[in-house]
Amino acid sequence: MLKFDVVVVGAGGAGMMAALNASEGKDLNVAVLSKIFPTRSHTGAAQGGINAAMAYRDANDSTESHFRDTVKGSDFLADQDAVEFFTSNMPAIISELDYYGVPFSRDENGRVAQRPFGGASSPRTCYSADKTGHVILHALYEQCLKNKVQFLNEWFLLSVVVENGNFEGLVAMDIRSGEIQPIQAKSVVIASGGFGRIYWSRTTNAINMTGDGTAACFEAGIPLKDPEFIQFHPTGLAQTGVLLSEACRGEGGYLLNKDGERFMGRYAPEKMELGPRDLVSRSIETEIKEGRGFGEGMTSYVLMDLRHLGEKKIMERLPQVRELAMEFEGVDLIKEPVPIRPSCHYTMGGIHVSDYKTCSTPIDGIHAAGECCSVSIHGANRLGGNSVADVVLFGKYAGLGAKESAKRRVFGSTKKLEQEATDWMAKFKTIRQKKTGINMFEIRNRLAETMWYNVGIFRTESEMEKALETVDELLEQYKDAYAGDPSETYNMAFINYIEIGNILKLARAVTMGALNRQESRGSHSRADYPTRNDEKFLKHTLIYKNGDKYRLEYAPVTITNYQPEERKY
Amino acid sequence: MERLQCKIKRFDGKQEYYQNYEVPYEKGKTILWLLTKIREEQDPTLNFTSACRHAICGSCAVQINGNAFLACNSSLDEILETFNSMKLTFEPLKNFDVVKDLVIVWEPKMEKMEQVKPWLIPSEEGTKEAGFIQSEDDYHQIAAPTDCILCGVCTSECNQLAVNDGTYLDPFILNRAYRFTIDSRDGSPEEHIRPVYENELWKCLHCMQCVTKCPKGIPLTDQIAYLRQESIRMGEVKNKGAKHAYAFHDDVRNKGRLNEVMLPIKTDGLVNTAIRKVPFALRMIKKGKINPFHMPKEVEGIRGVRELYKYAQEVGK
Repeated sequence: MLKFDVVVVGAGGAGMMAALNASEGKDLNVAVLSKIFPTRSHTGAAQGGINAAMAYRDANDSTESHFRDTVKGSDFLADQDAVEFFTSNMPAIISELDYYGVPFSRDENGRVAQRPFGGASSPRTCYSADKTGHVILHALYEQCLKNKVQFLNEWFLLSVVVENGNFEGLVAMDIRSGEIQPIQAKSVVIASGGFGRIYWSRTTNAINMTGDGTAACFEAGIPLKDPEFIQFHPTGLAQTGVLLSEACRGEGGYLLNKDGERFMGRYAPEKMELGPRDLVSRSIETEIKEGRGFGEGMTSYVLMDLRHLGEKKIMERLPQVRELAMEFEGVDLIKEPVPIRPSCHYTMGGIHVSDYKTCSTPIDGIHAAGECCSVSIHGANRLGGNSVADVVLFGKYAGLGAKESAKRRVFGSTKKLEQEATDWMAKFKTIRQKKTGINMFEIRNRLAETMWYNVGIFRTESEMEKALETVDELLEQYKDAYAGDPSETYNMAFINYIEIGNILKLARAVTMGALNRQESRGSHSRADYPTRNDEKFLKHTLIYKNGDKYRLEYAPVTITNYQPEERKY
Repeated sequence: MERLQCKIKRFDGKQEYYQNYEVPYEKGKTILWLLTKIREEQDPTLNFTSACRHAICGSCAVQINGNAFLACNSSLDEILETFNSMKLTFEPLKNFDVVKDLVIVWEPKMEKMEQVKPWLIPSEEGTKEAGFIQSEDDYHQIAAPTDCILCGVCTSECNQLAVNDGTYLDPFILNRAYRFTIDSRDGSPEEHIRPVYENELWKCLHCMQCVTKCPKGIPLTDQIAYLRQESIRMGEVKNKGAKHAYAFHDDVRNKGRLNEVMLPIKTDGLVNTAIRKVPFALRMIKKGKINPFHMPKEVEGIRGVRELYKYAQEVGK
């Protein structure tokens, strides 16, 4: 049986940072398991930057100020002790990344450059042009090569095995050979990314962001914290959800419905297209809902029109946006408007991390970092530039935490581990032999549609109840899902089948959390409860899964320095 | 309605074969859309890799009609126009091992890349605690080479790799070596250049295919030229590549043109030329391709040529 002291699941920013730190000193046997080749990870898609109060650009900036901004941005749902730990350790991480070779843009004094970002009271976002996540991901991969970190590439996590509260190891599939293996481990770091793909085509996320690690932990009895908080971006490209920069609105682009009307006039007469993200997103969806959009169903859209800016301005100010629209939507913005629609951008909730310093979950030996989990530093809404910061910082502390766990723990029983591996082998065989059934992509698409319309940007009780029913129905249909590939090796249809099962479970938790939270806070916006209700809901949602039963609890939020107040910008 | 005829190379680990699919044409789509549509609506056993679908993760490069493209940012309409055909043949990238269908393996390439120490060897000016000071100009030097997304298009297009025994380094590996060589924070550029030099640096054919096809527009051949100059500066002048370059350099300075008869002797030495090139040269002479007694005279504008050399030397300082 494969045996490691520490296994890291996921090879994005958090996973590789965890692996580097867990393997430092070379006294432990560490492996990184990833369903894709490491540099394909979604950390690479982060463009804008990484927040740290270096105080290079604004000498008055401080970690305290970053702390306050993050808490305010979270609509007071973040745990303040965790946020303080995060903001006060971020500057050191930037220097560490610099030392690892990350090519940061520089200021005139040769220090790491910083730019202003939404929700930040000082310009503290460090960056590398518009490819910050990409260069960090590659630099971390280079460090992993240097330190001879062991990778299991194209291995897929099937389950996290816990018996009587004791972590035994993982079951995973080597996609290339089709072999399913039990892997014994003393500790694990789950760093498998978010689950924006519950909305399938309506997300800016990569196609593989299906929350596999989150779902496996959920299945193993670890609760999901605050899954209902999902950030939406108003301008995703209509066909693919690929993000169209906020700069389009910033430069004066018009949003038009099918009557050619600049509809933002009815929602935000003064600010028009420059209203805040959530308001613009809701306005676009209202237009579509009331029949003033183009197209039908999940492919409906409105138009972003830049033609009035003229060729010169478009070429000068928005050349990359123009290129993006040409490449992915086949539209030249100088001549035509581009179809857009809001898209899910980020999942604030995830695996319940109960100790921010080690990123440990309630189960000893299981740690988590990055978008797959909730520490919680983002609370009800994440600030731009805090996600890459989150992955590198908590990736590091999760790695150190897992190292400490591995040194303290011993290899335990393998009984359940072997049993689960055998069960998975049988399941793989069954799915491969299945000749008929319900098309799994149809299940996926129906899930996306019901989540988008009922548990998306608008949320009301009756619609979410309807969604819960639909999700349950789809969970039932999933039992008869048909994947369609009988082969043993590189069976991506089987992988997709498991991924769809994962997003179904997670979508159910999102819906439950959203339905029970009878207030509007941060990204969670309820038409029937339009205001924040601190008395009843200044607390974290925790959802547990036990077989087919889902159970919801609430847990207190840690408040240290900042008492909740109305969030105004 | 117009239909696209797609012929896709399949490989199941043992057998290779081509399979045909027909897809109704739609305007304004990408190649990734086409492959995904085939997989989801016609054949779930078809495998290819993709992730971000906006040209940053580097997963989805494939060959279309013998040319490498990133599937996600290649417009279907442009591809159809380029090839002026509704028939598209898809194959995995060249010069890679294939796992299944269009899926290739990267690990052997990474092992190869490790030779050039593809990581920063920090100079003593920086520390882990305080990082580095790096000027904006120095940052701009490394901005373009760090655009590389490891998509493998350059490798697939490389004509040297197609005939090489596997020693020659892939263009993206040379890029990685270059990227650290010129990083002002790196303390040991030679440690990146030495392995490049030792692995047939001079074998690049300058066919420019890698540069032309790179989805990020990285000037790979300029970088190769730079690495060659650096290797000469490091004193590596006694190899065929450097000698060949010097032969060009000296001939053109002296006469304003090449002396093709002397070129192989200057590059390979008299003995090697006699053994390897003479039979070939004799055949050329027989066919009237070369005249062994022709000794090129100075060209008319030789003074201008020498002025250019002087100028280049000044600029090079």
